[in-house]
Amino acid sequence: MERAQQQSSDSILATLSVDLLIQILDRVADPRDRKSWRQVCRGFLLAEALRRRSLRVLRREALQGLLRRYAACLERLDLSACPALDDHALAAALAAGAGLWRLRSVNLSRASGVGWRGLAALAKACPHLEAVDLSHCVGVGDREAAALAAAAGLRELWLDKCLGLTDVGLAKVAVGCPALEMLGIKWCLEISDIGIELLAKKCQNLRVLDISYLKITNRSLQFVSSLGKLEDLSMVGCSHIDDAGLQFLNNGSNSLQSVDVSRCENVTSSGLISVIEGHKYLQNLNIGDCFPELAPLFLSKLNDLRDSLTVLKLDGFQVFAPSLKIIGLNCRNLVEIGLSKCKWVTDEGVSELVAGCVNLMTIDLTCCHLLTNKALAAIGDKCKNLTCLQLESCKLITDKGLDCIGTCCLNLEEIDLTDCTMTNAAMKYLSRCSELKVLKLGLCDKISDEGLVHIASNGKKLRVLDLYRCFEVTDDGLAAIATGCKRIKNLNLCYCTRITDLGLKHLSCLEDLLDLELRGVHYITSLGITAIANGCQHLTELDLKHCHLVDDAGLFALGQYTKNLRQANLSYCQVSSMGLCNLLGSLKCLQDVKLVHLTRVPVEGFESALRASGGRLKKLKLLTGLRHLLSPGLIQMLQAWGCRIRWVDKPLNLVP
Amino acid sequence: MVPERRRPPEASSKSSSSMMSESPRNLKPGLPFIPFDSTNLWCGDGHGRSFLEFSPPLVTQSNGLFGPDRETKSKNQHEPSPVMDWNPRLMLSNLSFLEQKIHQVQDIVRSIISREDQFLDQANELAAQQQLVTADLTYIIIQLISTAGTLLPDIKNALLSTNPAVGRPGSNQKQHEIVPVEVAKASQHDSLIKDLNSCGGKEDGLIKCSNNSGVEASEPIPIEDPDTKDNDDGMDGENLPPGSYEVLQLEEEEILAPHTHFCLICGKGFKRDANLRMHMRGHGDEYKSPAALAKPSKEASIEPQPIRRYSCPFVGCKRNKEHKKFQPLKTMLCVKNHYKRSHCDKSYTCSRCKTKKFSIIADLKTHEKHCGRDKWICSCGTTFSRKDKLFGHVALFQGHAPAIPMDDAKVLVTSDKAQVSEASSGMPGNTTGYNFSGNTSLDAQTPDIKGVDDGHGCFSPMILDACNIWGLTEFPHSAYEVSESTFSFLATGSCNSIQRNGEN
Repeated sequence: MERAQQQSSDSILATLSVDLLIQILDRVADPRDRKSWRQVCRGFLLAEALRRRSLRVLRREALQGLLRRYAACLERLDLSACPALDDHALAAALAAGAGLWRLRSVNLSRASGVGWRGLAALAKACPHLEAVDLSHCVGVGDREAAALAAAAGLRELWLDKCLGLTDVGLAKVAVGCPALEMLGIKWCLEISDIGIELLAKKCQNLRVLDISYLKITNRSLQFVSSLGKLEDLSMVGCSHIDDAGLQFLNNGSNSLQSVDVSRCENVTSSGLISVIEGHKYLQNLNIGDCFPELAPLFLSKLNDLRDSLTVLKLDGFQVFAPSLKIIGLNCRNLVEIGLSKCKWVTDEGVSELVAGCVNLMTIDLTCCHLLTNKALAAIGDKCKNLTCLQLESCKLITDKGLDCIGTCCLNLEEIDLTDCTMTNAAMKYLSRCSELKVLKLGLCDKISDEGLVHIASNGKKLRVLDLYRCFEVTDDGLAAIATGCKRIKNLNLCYCTRITDLGLKHLSCLEDLLDLELRGVHYITSLGITAIANGCQHLTELDLKHCHLVDDAGLFALGQYTKNLRQANLSYCQVSSMGLCNLLGSLKCLQDVKLVHLTRVPVEGFESALRASGGRLKKLKLLTGLRHLLSPGLIQMLQAWGCRIRWVDKPLNLVP
Repeated sequence: MVPERRRPPEASSKSSSSMMSESPRNLKPGLPFIPFDSTNLWCGDGHGRSFLEFSPPLVTQSNGLFGPDRETKSKNQHEPSPVMDWNPRLMLSNLSFLEQKIHQVQDIVRSIISREDQFLDQANELAAQQQLVTADLTYIIIQLISTAGTLLPDIKNALLSTNPAVGRPGSNQKQHEIVPVEVAKASQHDSLIKDLNSCGGKEDGLIKCSNNSGVEASEPIPIEDPDTKDNDDGMDGENLPPGSYEVLQLEEEEILAPHTHFCLICGKGFKRDANLRMHMRGHGDEYKSPAALAKPSKEASIEPQPIRRYSCPFVGCKRNKEHKKFQPLKTMLCVKNHYKRSHCDKSYTCSRCKTKKFSIIADLKTHEKHCGRDKWICSCGTTFSRKDKLFGHVALFQGHAPAIPMDDAKVLVTSDKAQVSEASSGMPGNTTGYNFSGNTSLDAQTPDIKGVDDGHGCFSPMILDACNIWGLTEFPHSAYEVSESTFSFLATGSCNSIQRNGEN
């Protein structure tokens, strides 16, 4: 995008009508380019406002103005990252565009400050509301659910970990939103069979249902089985459900496409067989950590799903080679297989599997300790479409194995080699995979700068790089990464102790960097942090734990430049109250901060810094010793704003 | 087989005991002495001493009267043949004794009339006289009944002989099972017991039923355990083909009778056989033997018992045997509960909600446990004590939803708070419930019943009941043994209506 050209004069607007501008805008994909577009002139801004369908708000101050501007066209609103969002702010913002709202989807995940008043205002203001995400709002209970139930058109609702939600709240939703198609009530531990029964009776259109970790019994499944349109059923960790319950699902409706019964301790093969018999078009089957061994009957039943089954997860099973052979024969269309932590997975077994399932794109072999290069050779030979390969802790695999992968699987996007004995040669082989986006090399302590140079040579698309405890990596390696992999978003350099400020200065040219972990990199000082803060202004997460040389100057820089910083770990840093107050006061997005063992910060420093945070914090980690030293009013206030404080039980050494 | 629990100790004298038990109610209308104030019994002894002299011989005589009676009974038991074994001569002597006794009472009453003027200023003496009359009449009644009672086994025997297929007359067990309940048959017989016969027949039935419920020992004891409620009123679960069981129908009086075990000597009624046995100790050393005190073990009966079911006497009721879709009741307890629930006044009103009424005190208690705790509310305003009931209601109606009370909003947010609130809201109910039961148990043990009673007037039915029980079990051992037992005997009758309500 040629910015200069756009900025040249207003005459552009004379020749380009709004619809033409919109046409042009549609071809601008990158968010940062769109930002530039918005800043050209009012005409461009208007065009963008007319075109914008979704909005993610990062700061509360901007909320009202943004919503006023986009009220007419906005369909999806993400407020999950908006700090200090409370009922009042939400209601006021919604009032700005009263009557205009075409909002269909609102994400309030982790918006712990929002209560029933805000939700009632939302339901009232947005008549077309179809999807709401309230997951991880631990304070949400029946009253909030009741307020939400006023949105009768709701089709999608996520209430994961709404700990206060009981059967009554669920009943409110079930009665108020009969059109519900997707519902997640994972970890809503108060919900019982009675609530599920009513839900199944009232919401017959449910397609997706997540009832994981609920204390429900087989009785619930009896009612769930009456949902004729149910496609996706997740019931992870429902320990009260057994085969008798799964038999209810054998109702012949054939609607289910995805079933997740992982961690259901009492489920065995026979229960799964009845599920398979009842649903011939099952595509996704997750039975991880249910029972130790696969029964032959179950394996042969997989033949019934020959055409449909694409995802099979068998985490934690004892899977012998013959079993994998049968799976390979019966599930030809398998795209993803999970064998994480499976015992007795051998080269032979994997060879048999991939011989049948040539379409496999994702293979999870985490902790399959018996595998050697032969298995990788077989995978590389058969699975040309492989995009994701998880090999964590496969210690017998060497560089030679990756040679096959790098040669054959050119579409590889993600590979996890954590805790494998890889050397720089392996990086050379992997550098052939130009599509690589995620590379995890944690604990591969033989990887050095040379390896990083190989990665950087063809790693333009790399997004995630994990170099956890790669001691050999130095500033030079980071320089190579910084030049070769410009798109890196997540970089983990924990305990790469040879890195200094110079390396961070190289990294500061990574504009996309969002998440940087520097835990235990003890040579770095505030200079390096300042460089990072200057260059990586989109940084949202930063881990500086045990960076003993980082002091207030670093925090000042962070407070000044990384305005989007949302999560910070400053434990064991040499910061004082001044720096802390500045950081907490100036970062308007900071919501999660860990402040353990800040020995140079007195109690008053904590007190004023936390007050300066102004109710934006949602998670806070402090030493237990401070619990009684901080004023009770402050703690109450923080909690009232929806902040959860984790008290770490370690000795407290404060400056007097 | 669980041993029979509720059979009277004198297994052989069932018929006589049954007659005894009948006395308080059935003879009541014929007694002109009831209006006498029974409290007078407490105070008088001085003036009526001359009359009291009659009492001791009477007692011995009455004992003597019982003697042969018993013999016939035991004879009856041991002799399998269904012959007419009652002794007309004995009967005659009994009757003549009664006549003599009545004359004595007449004399006393006459003397009262003749000295009416003197008594005006000597109330004490009059009271003593009245007490004497009451005591004498009580004995007359008892003896009359026991005399009549000697006839009853013969009636049964006669019927047995005509109906041999029904059972074996020799077996004591059988003998009582087979007795038909139809009043008409019993009424045909003796002119002496004509007044009693309908009742006598019914009483037999009652005894039989109590026996039966004793045999089916798995059933809870009806009276002693007020919390045990037979919810399903009978045999809804079982499908016995009609005719495969025997149907017994009791009259209302039997169903509502408070006691089923009566002392043969003083006529006091008991709910439990064990209580009667304890009571009998006070009547002499012969009742203190381990054998007499032991639970009468059930004779090993090899032949299977015919299945017995019960019919409700209320015509038109589905539980009545005349009903087209007759559903018999399983036990005597079922009969009692069913009859009270369905065909009696609901005289117990919940003290809290003032609306719910019950005819069985246990039902009231059960209700009061939950009353006022209807925390499950529907948006339509209907309240429920149980969540599943509310959810069933919500599922049934379109647009109804559980309501969340505004002031509880805070509480409902966190579960632990909700539990606290539940506990605190539940506290008043719990404590009241506790007090309620606590009071009654207290009353049963506290000697000064009156004071406690006054203190908790609202629970009067229960307390009255409790004090009755207390009085009946404890007073016979007091100093006023004779007069007191007379009193309690009468009290049983006169308090009948109250007890009917008060008991389960």
